[in-house]
Amino acid sequence: MSTPTQTSTITVALTGNPNTGKSTLFSDLVGVHQQVGNYPGVTVEKKTGRMEYGGRRYRVVDLPGIYSLAPRSPDEMVTVDVLLGHTPAVDPIDVVVCIADACNLKRNLYLVSQVLELGLPTVLALNMIDVADDEGIAIDVDRLASQLGIPVVATQANRGRGVDRLKEALSAVAPAAFETETPFPGPFEHEVVRLQSLLAERGIGTSRGQPISRFLVRRLLLDVNGYLQKTLLGDDAELLETLREARDRLAVAECGVPGVEIRVRYAWIGRVLDGVVQTPAEYRTTLTDRVDRVLTHRFWGLALFALVMVVVFQAVFSWAEPLMGAIDGAFQSLGAWIEATMAEGALRSLLVDGVVGGVGGVLVFLPQILILFLFIGVLEDCGYMARAAYLMDRAMVRVGLSGKSFIPLLASCACAVPGIMAARVIENERDRLTTILVAPLMTCSARLPVYALLIAAFIPARTYFGVFGLQGLTLIALYAVGMLAAVTAALVLKRTLLRGQAPPFVMELPRYKWPSPRIVVMRVFERASVFLRTAGTIILAVSILVWAALYYPRDTQSVEALPEIQRLRAELASLPADDPRYEQAEAELDRELSGAYQRQSFLGRAGRWVEPVFRPLGWDWRISCAVIASFPAREVVVATLGVIFDLGEGVDAESEEGASRFRATLERATWGETDRKLFNVPVALSLMVFFALCAQCAATLAVIRRETNSWRWPAFTFAYMTTLAYLAALATYQTGMWIRG
Amino acid sequence: MEELIPMNLLRAGQSAEVSQIQGPIEHVHRLEEFGLCRGAMIQMFRPGNPCIVRMAGNKFCLRSDDLLQILVRRNGHALERG
Repeated sequence: MSTPTQTSTITVALTGNPNTGKSTLFSDLVGVHQQVGNYPGVTVEKKTGRMEYGGRRYRVVDLPGIYSLAPRSPDEMVTVDVLLGHTPAVDPIDVVVCIADACNLKRNLYLVSQVLELGLPTVLALNMIDVADDEGIAIDVDRLASQLGIPVVATQANRGRGVDRLKEALSAVAPAAFETETPFPGPFEHEVVRLQSLLAERGIGTSRGQPISRFLVRRLLLDVNGYLQKTLLGDDAELLETLREARDRLAVAECGVPGVEIRVRYAWIGRVLDGVVQTPAEYRTTLTDRVDRVLTHRFWGLALFALVMVVVFQAVFSWAEPLMGAIDGAFQSLGAWIEATMAEGALRSLLVDGVVGGVGGVLVFLPQILILFLFIGVLEDCGYMARAAYLMDRAMVRVGLSGKSFIPLLASCACAVPGIMAARVIENERDRLTTILVAPLMTCSARLPVYALLIAAFIPARTYFGVFGLQGLTLIALYAVGMLAAVTAALVLKRTLLRGQAPPFVMELPRYKWPSPRIVVMRVFERASVFLRTAGTIILAVSILVWAALYYPRDTQSVEALPEIQRLRAELASLPADDPRYEQAEAELDRELSGAYQRQSFLGRAGRWVEPVFRPLGWDWRISCAVIASFPAREVVVATLGVIFDLGEGVDAESEEGASRFRATLERATWGETDRKLFNVPVALSLMVFFALCAQCAATLAVIRRETNSWRWPAFTFAYMTTLAYLAALATYQTGMWIRG
Repeated sequence: MEELIPMNLLRAGQSAEVSQIQGPIEHVHRLEEFGLCRGAMIQMFRPGNPCIVRMAGNKFCLRSDDLLQILVRRNGHALERG
């Protein structure tokens, strides 16, 4: 441990149980100077910030909320590595701040007892001291500090009270020689020392070649079949045998693991808390309890939850509408301005169609994403999220997940991006990964324009019993397809790739509190910037690629040689410029030209090339081309279909007129040179089913990459969803044709 | 002395003392770290599966399955705080 000089930065680690107000305290300490990054190789986010006090600079690392330092996975190991100074991602820790809930000291001190073993200067922040007051709990802070042996500062993070005293304690805590007595009995420590020297002899070190510290050796002994045992000893039979023998000896000496840790630590806690806490004799029902009587009620709780979800969705769609319109309009204007000011050519087309069109098409969803982040943030901060997870747990268990997966999957019905990012709260890694992998199957709002158009164009507007419209039912059926696929995929994943024993589902239901606007807004901002950074670059890159594939090669000679083009040019030439039909003829020529260029582009040719693959789905090469072009972003298919069928890219699917023109054009389309109609109900259905199940969203894949910190999972998602979509579309078309004929 | 019963047989409002947790070692340890260990005083808030239990001032929900059993002894004690 280095002795910080006057000019060097002091590194502070912030740790504590979940729901203790740690993020609030972190914000109190660092204000806006915080950033989010990644620890290499794991999915845990690295949250750091900087602060200044008394002329010194401090870097604060906000570690994830944990109940114990016993690592059970690579993600949990990160916290241990950071505290031990074993990770290059963070400087060695100089001071640790443990935050505890004043109303729940007994359990919170369990973690503190483990932290003290590290031998680092530690300060205890006793937070939510106001709630303790309200509930009649009196804590003798000075006595606690003297019995604990470390400084204790009472704080109320949400009002910033006590934060200055905390900073003072941080700066004053002596860096040198922080010794602490181990709470473990003699026989245990004896085994620890023995094992430590044996491991050192055998040259067993951490993954970075450091010798194993006493702290890790204790964890090795205590965590039976734990993560450390698997990674440090692996399959080494001899070492495993030595470990087993050590544990056997401990069992004989009445220090059996892991029970000894619980006994010993809670005994220590009892000694530390002696005479410190005074609680009221009778348990007083709190406001939280009274509210929970309703909110967790089997019937009323669920009913209210459904209501809350409906309100949230309503708000998301209705608030987002005008904003989306504004962004869309802004990008259209930008595109039009560029088109007007620049000379025609590849660069102009790149900017207008590739960059502005592609990026704008995705950014238009930003309002929806932000509003979802906002609602999820508020629900989490006020404490309702845990109740929602409780209510939905029974249903989610049937598909192999837990209640915590519900909100992320529901959010994905608007947009998978916030849904996947919300899956972060699921601690069980297998559950989290499964949720992330099936979230894109939920019918998101980007699919709706495609559905709306195709349904309006091809599903007859029949009504049954005066109530059930066939068109509406088709839409519902498509939603159902998505959800059914998600459920099936989750079950399959849990049984095959992501199989494993699930840890017990224990979830704290925190006290209700008013959501802090500062925290919520900061979180929304943070999530939004992560999204823009992550997805932005990929979307830009893919948009440019698709643009290039649709633009090149620009074979003017062969396009101008086409008979249809020549005919239209002749017609235009024959009309005087002031003839009323001139504009119309010019527009028709433009549309025909766009169509012709796109048809002979790389993507167009690719469409022709893969046509045999898609013919069993009822698609010809033009549809295939449009589908391929929409892989980065689904909504593009409408415009692409428009251009390729000579309708022009300004297909206004929203208006009645636009939709009927679209329908008329598609209905006229035929297979190649034959008279056989291209579009019919089975083709429309197969197209919609394909869109329902296919991973056509570069933004989603980018976010999956970030949340799983590997390329493997987005690649897997892309592969399995595309395969599923293909097979389902195939089945739909073939079944449809079979029913018809 | 009251007999040992599985925790999920408690009715709403009944309090009990945790006596034993049966199950795989790692899972039991995880629950114990959470505070659910021998001698802990709990009060059933909402029975069922998952159930909601109050313990020392905070509430948590717990889903038990075939592998995990928490055996408790009913008592009439008022719930401890802190």
